[in-house]
This record gives sequence, C-alpha cells and structure tokens, in this order.
Amino acid sequence: MRQISILIVFFGVMMSFFQANSLFAQTKVEDLKNEQDTLKEKVTTIRDVISGVEERLATAEADLTKLTRIKVSGYVQAQWLHNEAASSYPGNLFQVRRARVKFTYEPVNGVVFVVQPDFLPGSITLKDAYAQANEPWLKTFSLWVGQFNRPNYEVEYSSSSREVPERSRVIRALYPGERAIGAKMEIAPPKLPLKIQLALFNGNDGLTITDASGNSINPTNNDFDNAKDFMGRVTYAFKLGNIGGLTIGAHGYYGKIKANAYDAINSDYTYNKKIDNIGETLKRNWLGFEGQLHLDVLGGLALKGEYIFGVNSTPGYYATSTVVSPMTSALKNDTLTLTTLTTKTTTARPAITRNFSGYYIYLIKNIGKRHQIAVRFDQYNPNTKLAADQIGTAKWDESSSQTENKYTYAGSDPVVATNAQTKTVVNNLLKSGTADITYSTWTFGYTYFFDDYIKFMIAYEIPVNRKSGTRDANGDGNITSTYKVNDVTGIYDYSNWIKQNVLTVRMQVKF
Amino acid sequence: MKRINKVWTIAALALIVMIGAAFMPAPKKITVKGSDTMVILAQKWAELYMKAHPEAVIQVTGGGSGTGIAALVNGSTDICNSSRPMKRSEMDKLKDRYASLGVEIPCAKDGITIFLHESNPVKELSIKQLSGIYSGKITNWKEVGGPDMTIKLYGRENSSGTYVFFKDNVVKGDYAASCQTLPGTAAVVNAVSKDKSGIGYGGAAYASGVKHCAVKKDEKSPAYVATPETVKANQYPLTRYLYMYLKNRPTGDIKAYIDWILSPEGQKIVSSVGYFPVR
Repeated sequence: MRQISILIVFFGVMMSFFQANSLFAQTKVEDLKNEQDTLKEKVTTIRDVISGVEERLATAEADLTKLTRIKVSGYVQAQWLHNEAASSYPGNLFQVRRARVKFTYEPVNGVVFVVQPDFLPGSITLKDAYAQANEPWLKTFSLWVGQFNRPNYEVEYSSSSREVPERSRVIRALYPGERAIGAKMEIAPPKLPLKIQLALFNGNDGLTITDASGNSINPTNNDFDNAKDFMGRVTYAFKLGNIGGLTIGAHGYYGKIKANAYDAINSDYTYNKKIDNIGETLKRNWLGFEGQLHLDVLGGLALKGEYIFGVNSTPGYYATSTVVSPMTSALKNDTLTLTTLTTKTTTARPAITRNFSGYYIYLIKNIGKRHQIAVRFDQYNPNTKLAADQIGTAKWDESSSQTENKYTYAGSDPVVATNAQTKTVVNNLLKSGTADITYSTWTFGYTYFFDDYIKFMIAYEIPVNRKSGTRDANGDGNITSTYKVNDVTGIYDYSNWIKQNVLTVRMQVKF
Repeated sequence: MKRINKVWTIAALALIVMIGAAFMPAPKKITVKGSDTMVILAQKWAELYMKAHPEAVIQVTGGGSGTGIAALVNGSTDICNSSRPMKRSEMDKLKDRYASLGVEIPCAKDGITIFLHESNPVKELSIKQLSGIYSGKITNWKEVGGPDMTIKLYGRENSSGTYVFFKDNVVKGDYAASCQTLPGTAAVVNAVSKDKSGIGYGGAAYASGVKHCAVKKDEKSPAYVATPETVKANQYPLTRYLYMYLKNRPTGDIKAYIDWILSPEGQKIVSSVGYFPVR
C-alpha cells in the first residue's frame, strides 16, 4: 500500500514536472515564434531596403549608361610666333592657335552626333556639327549630314596630329576652313582595306567673295548659288609584310560657282565669253593623287604626298556706279564758263577661271618614343598658264572714259556759259598680279612628346615666292604691294624673294 | 658671326645628345597590357621566361584588348595583347603618333566557349540561337530545348576583345540590356557555375566547374565543342587568333621574349593553359 502511495506521489511529481516542462517548452516555442516573426519582419524590411537600393542603382546605372554615351575630347594649342615678314607687326606674339572641344553623343549604337566649337580669344567658331549614321548589318556604309571635313588626306588629318603647324598652301587655297556643309556617304568594307567617300557640298564654304564695294556676299557661309559641288575620294591600303604599308588614293572635285560678273576671262587673261545673266556658273574641277608610305626603319618613317591639278574660278563682280558732281568756273574771252562736272564711275571685275597645280611631300621620322622630326616641301602654282615674267603684264582691260558737254549761254558782257559736263568712266579690268604668283614652301618641324597628352613643337617655315614680273631700267619690278607699319609705308617687289619666314614654338595639350 | 656659330654649335650638340638618348638601350623591364582573356597565358609566359632569364623583368596586366591598344598608342606599354585584330581607326592612331603601322603577331588560337551550368540539359546551340539569346529575343531555356527557366545572361565589358568578337560574330547587333557584364572570363565562369539558369562566354582556358556547350554554325551543321583538334581544323565555329601588337618591329629584349613565345617552348605553354598553339 505504502509502495502504491510512493508510486502515486512519484507519478504526481513526474506529471507536475512534465507539465511544468511542457509549459516551459511552450513558452520557449512561443518566444521562438515571436523571435521568428521579428526576424521575418526585419528580413522583410531589409529586403525592402535592398529593393529600394537596387531600384535606385538601376536608375543610377541607366543614367550612367546615358552619360557614357557622351564623350568629350579636345586640344589646346598655344604658341609663340616670330614672323620675319617686314609687313608683319608685331613681328612676334603669343597666340592661342586652336582651342577645340569635341562633344560626341552616341544615343544608340551606330548613330553619332558631333559638335566641335573652336574657342579662340575674341571668337567662337563652329568647326564640326554633324550627325553620322552607321549601317549595322554589313558595317560598311555610313551617312554623314551637317558640317564636317571635306574628303581629302591633309584636310582630314587632324591638326592635333600634324607634324608641322599648318596645312600646305594648296590645301588652304582649295579648302579654306577645311569644313563644308553637305552630306557624305562613306563606304568602308570591314574586311577590305578600301575606303570610298562620296560627298555633296554647298561648295562655297570658307570662300571670301566680295562685291564691287568690297562687302562679302558670302558672310555667314551660306551658299550663294544653286550649284552644289560633288567630291569623291577613294583609298586602298597595301600591307608591305611586317615592314610597313602603302596607302594610295585619288580624290576629285566637280563643282561650279556663280559668276558674279558679265564677262569671263581665261587663265591667260584672254577673253572667254560674255555672261548673259548673273547666275551662270563657272567650273571648279580638279583631281588629286595621293600616297602615304609608312616604313618601320629603326622606328617609324613616313613619306606622304599629294599632287592636285585642275581649274578653279573666281566670280568677279558686276558694276556699281558712283556719281560725283563738282562745279568749276573759268573766264575766257569775255565768256564766263560755269561747268558742272558729273563723273559717273562704274567698276566691274570679270570672272576668271585659272588653271592651277599644287603638291606637298612630307618626310617624317620618329626617333624613339618621344622625338619626331619632319620636313615638308609644298608648292602651289595658282596660274599654270602664265609664265613668271608674264605676271604683271597679262591683263584684260575693257575700261573706257567718255565726256559729253552740254552748253547753255546767257548774257552778253560777259557771256555766261553753263556747261553741264558728263563724264562716264567704266573700270572693267583684271590685271595679273600677286594672285598668280607661285609659292614653294619648306617647313621643318621637331616634336617632343612629353607624355600621352602634352607635346611641344618647334617649326620653321620658309615660303619662297617665284620671282615674278618684269623690271624696268631702274630695276623696279612691275608687281608690287604696299604695307604700312608704324606709319611707314613699305613696298614688296615680287621680282625679288620676299622674306616671310615664320618660326613657331607651340605647346599642345590634348585630352 | 661668332655668336651665331656658338648658337649653332649648341643646337647641334643638343640634337646629337637627343638622338643619342633616343637610341640608348631600353631598360630590361618589358610591359605587357591588354586582353583579359590572355592574362593567364601572358602571366605564365612571363613567369617561365623570367625564371629562365633572371635579368628580365616582365610586367603583365589586363584591362581588355581596347585598353591594351590604347596603351600601345599612348606609349604606356611595350606589348599589347589583343583577342581581336586591331581596328582601322586604332591603326590610324598608331600611324599618326608613331608614323608606323605597328606589328601584328598571332601567338595563339582560341575557341570562344559557351559556358552553361552543369545541371543544364542543353547540349548544343546554333549561332542563330546564341544570337537570339544574347540579343534578348530568346529569353527562356525551353525555347532551345531546355527546362522552363528564364535565361540569365553573363558577358564581358565592352573594352574586352572577347566582347567585340562575340558581338561581331554571334550577336550581330546589340546585346540585350539584361546581360550582366563582368570583368574577365574567370568572373563569367564563376557566375555561371553558381547559376542554374546562367549562360556565359569566354576563352576556353577558364572553363572549369561549368559545362561546355557544343556550337554549330547553322541548323544543318554538326555541333562541335572547342578542342585542340576542332580549333586547329577550324571546325569549331567560334575560333579566333590571339595577337600581340607592337609599335615597331621588335629588337633587343622584346625580340628575344617574342621569339621565345613563338618557339616550341613558348607554344607548349599555350596548350598547357588551355589555348591552342599557332606553330
């Protein structure tokens, strides 16, 4: 009995223990549940925070992707120039030659927008402004629309890379300002070293064309005629094993310019034709052949050149008249003559189509990583139809002068004669001169590449004018131009060599 | 007159010193920069060459083929590794800066491998299907014979030659916006190895812990996995050369190093790393 009691007590104790334990466990489970709920809440909060961060990151990434589609590059060229020409004053000066920033935006692959202003002290000019669309399938064709470089080797070769300070004289004459407004198709098959460029331009870009009063008729570089000019260029590159490569090519220009006069003359200043209406066009056609040889001979060595020939026209201008009416009086044989002289002067200049030729040759040698020397010889003959001694003599002149008297008399002592005199002067001429002189130029350049971004250049340019014209008994030439420096007038006589050498010391920073 | 002579003498001396300095022997250190795909191979070459030539110091860094070519143009590397041929525009930059076309040396062959997760049942894909996948037109594995699972794309950064090669030869357009770009093939392999729905591409040398997917040129062609045989025989459709580029023809220490790379000893390393020799 006693044993049963002990057993009952034992079971009772055990039951109480288990119940207490169960209660304790239940509390623990509840605690854990609570903890789990708290944790869940925390995880949810953290997940929300992460989602928010992810969303913000995605937005930031999208914005960043847009930003990476904008590229900014450019360069600044600052220089000290020493000009040895007597007409140049000041003869030495510091200059900012170019300060260009190029903005490129590629909103989608293959479509590029480019704007490149040139910030010079006192002026900002727009150099490039174009849209370029690259065809995505064959990756061969690209279309350019806007203002961009004309397709020519030296024009397209960046001023930031050029081995001498300025382009050749022939290129500066044919492609002033380098750029033109129009459209261009480029064909460059990726597997072939061939490039074809076909372009259509306004054609008068960068030309300075004036009327009889000297005012520009092309001031904002807008076209002033309906003729559009076509340009084509083709290049092909050959690989010369591991020693280098040769690129050969040709470019052609087929254009027209409005004659702004009623007479047109030939390159030798003989009469060509009567122009019936202002608006008729004259030829601007030329052809160029180019080659660039790159050899690896103790470092890079390049020989580059181009020869261009053709015809180029200048529009001339039609007549405007000026009227001057002074009054004079004289007494002769008891007759008092009162004269009113009205002089009517008309000035015109015929349009001229000149045959020209020009070329340039560069020899460039890189020495080590940092040094480069370059020599360039270029020549531009703006009128191949005139020998040097014909310049200054050859001219076309249709100038004339005619005076008409119209007397009326009054009185008897003295008789008063009133003469309304009319003088008509027609200045319609063009004389050969400085615009027809051939120039040959030697340029020597040395460049030191300080690092990836900075380079220093020292260059010396020696332009040599062909001694032109004829000399009189005193030895004075018949082609001259005058200049004034510090109120002293000087004369350039082109029957001599005129010193116009230029020393340039330039620093360029590119970014 | 005396003064002019003095000036000319100083100028001539300065020129002689300058030219002399330019031709002075270059330091022994050779810098190699470029393709991430080629980093392992380039490091191995450098390591073994330096072991055999203790006087040589070779520094190898990656960054991508585009970065390497830019470094070659701006003069901050002696050798550029590139997993793609140099573009015309890049060659023009080299011409403008050094009056040289540069020197191209094919030093190995590679088969761009398609990486899948080991559990992925897809065994082969055509170029067209890969183009669809990477351009975002195909988004689910079931469209190419796999499970009903959204495809997760892994690829390289746009400075990579592999990125360009794959874009030009496979995608033939823009990559899908969802493609996650990673720095280096090793990172792509790592990501795919952890992602059942992932697909990636890269150099064959990196493919461990992932499945190699066979590739066929078109639906009718047989599918090949990149192996020495299929790459050598140009059967594997995504075969390419790996290049070294220099500004000028190599001389001195650089020439010795490149000659060694192209020797049987150097080419043996190409195979050991997982690429394919050119000689």
